[in-house]
Amino acid sequence: MATMTTVKKSIITAVCIALCVVLPMAFHAIPNAGSVYCPMHIPVLLCGLICGPQYGLLCGLAGPALSTLFTGMPPVAYLPPMMIEIAVYGTLCGLMMKVVHTKNLYADLYVSLIIAMLGGRIVGGLAKALIFAGGEYSMATWATGYFVTSLPGIIVHLVLIPSIVVALMRAMLIPERYPKVDS
Amino acid sequence: MSRLPTGTFIPGSSPVHRLDARVKLLSLIALLIAIVSVDTLIGYAVIAAITVFVIGLSGLTLKTAVGSAYRMYLFFILVLLMNTCFFSAEDPWFSFWLIHPSHGGMVQGLIVVFRVFMVLVLSNILTCTTQPMEMTNALESLMSPLRFVKIPTDQIAIIISVAIQFIPTLFEEADMIRKAQTARGATFDSPKLSEKAAAVMPLAIPIFLGAFKRADELSLAMEARGYTGVRIHTNRKKACLRFGDYAAMVSVLAVCILLTAFL
Repeated sequence: MATMTTVKKSIITAVCIALCVVLPMAFHAIPNAGSVYCPMHIPVLLCGLICGPQYGLLCGLAGPALSTLFTGMPPVAYLPPMMIEIAVYGTLCGLMMKVVHTKNLYADLYVSLIIAMLGGRIVGGLAKALIFAGGEYSMATWATGYFVTSLPGIIVHLVLIPSIVVALMRAMLIPERYPKVDS
Repeated sequence: MSRLPTGTFIPGSSPVHRLDARVKLLSLIALLIAIVSVDTLIGYAVIAAITVFVIGLSGLTLKTAVGSAYRMYLFFILVLLMNTCFFSAEDPWFSFWLIHPSHGGMVQGLIVVFRVFMVLVLSNILTCTTQPMEMTNALESLMSPLRFVKIPTDQIAIIISVAIQFIPTLFEEADMIRKAQTARGATFDSPKLSEKAAAVMPLAIPIFLGAFKRADELSLAMEARGYTGVRIHTNRKKACLRFGDYAAMVSVLAVCILLTAFL
């Protein structure tokens, strides 16, 4: 039975940070995958769900920064708002997984994911409107950028991330959230 | 994907190799700020001259130093074309539908390409001339003030160091999985959105499973050797900054302040 020690959480976070660099490059095989599927969001959301809010926060901050350093993507100008947005994803995912206990794994995962994805987009939009693009950022731009363009990405994340969490649990690489009790 | 862009340490004894990792990291941050702040032709020329000088000092071949940036030439061409065609509608060479290619747009594109290129080359020099362990210690040292607000800086430094060392391994594994799935008939270039989305699953799930299996093995190995994540480890030697380190840091900071203030 897999257990989550501090060391294991740290190493999983390190792997998720590395995946923030590797995954966008792997997705280059699919045309326009970077902007449509937002592959960098996947490891951060997973890290938050599996390891907890503080690890999700670190992954969200360090992942894009390392990706910029190693691959130049995202460009330096887009890095700060992206870091804020992704860090909120990781933190909220972890927090919601601690708070939400419906006795159904999929329900927990979907509630946490949806709240985190909404929260991250709201905070990301606020950061752009108030700090990074003060006065030149409208509600329409926010809705288009965060919901319309990335709609395929949102759907892929909602399908893919719970599948990965379940696959990891079945492979006994992370502990079961609701272990079956033998009668 | 088979060629790793950066992240591999190349042993050497050049002045850049011998510099303290903390100095290299701080110099890189200062230079990145200067690259983003500078907006004159002389400023760009000075940045380019500094980069060439550092490449020369590092003893790296030009191919190694600029290799990762050079491999992104398609991205650079795309950025240049998009800026030229869409950046500004003022004084265009000609107009067609949404496309307004202009001199201003082309200049803006060249500036963006130059900045990204310089960032990539300088980051590459840092990773090629610094051992991962030195980088970890440097990160830990630079983040040490955060300990006063109870942030576990040593644990963060270890996580970032492990992440950097995982990048080449995961890169190769992801490439292998992509090729294996292509051989099994996965189509990544379908114009249909549904087929594109379906192509993501066979690529992403094995990458994550493989990565987490490696994480599981590494954490088991670390725990078996007594690592608990609690701060009880010591350093074999405490690195002290030497005259050369101070001289390099002061020179880089002075140049960066001058660049940011006047150019």
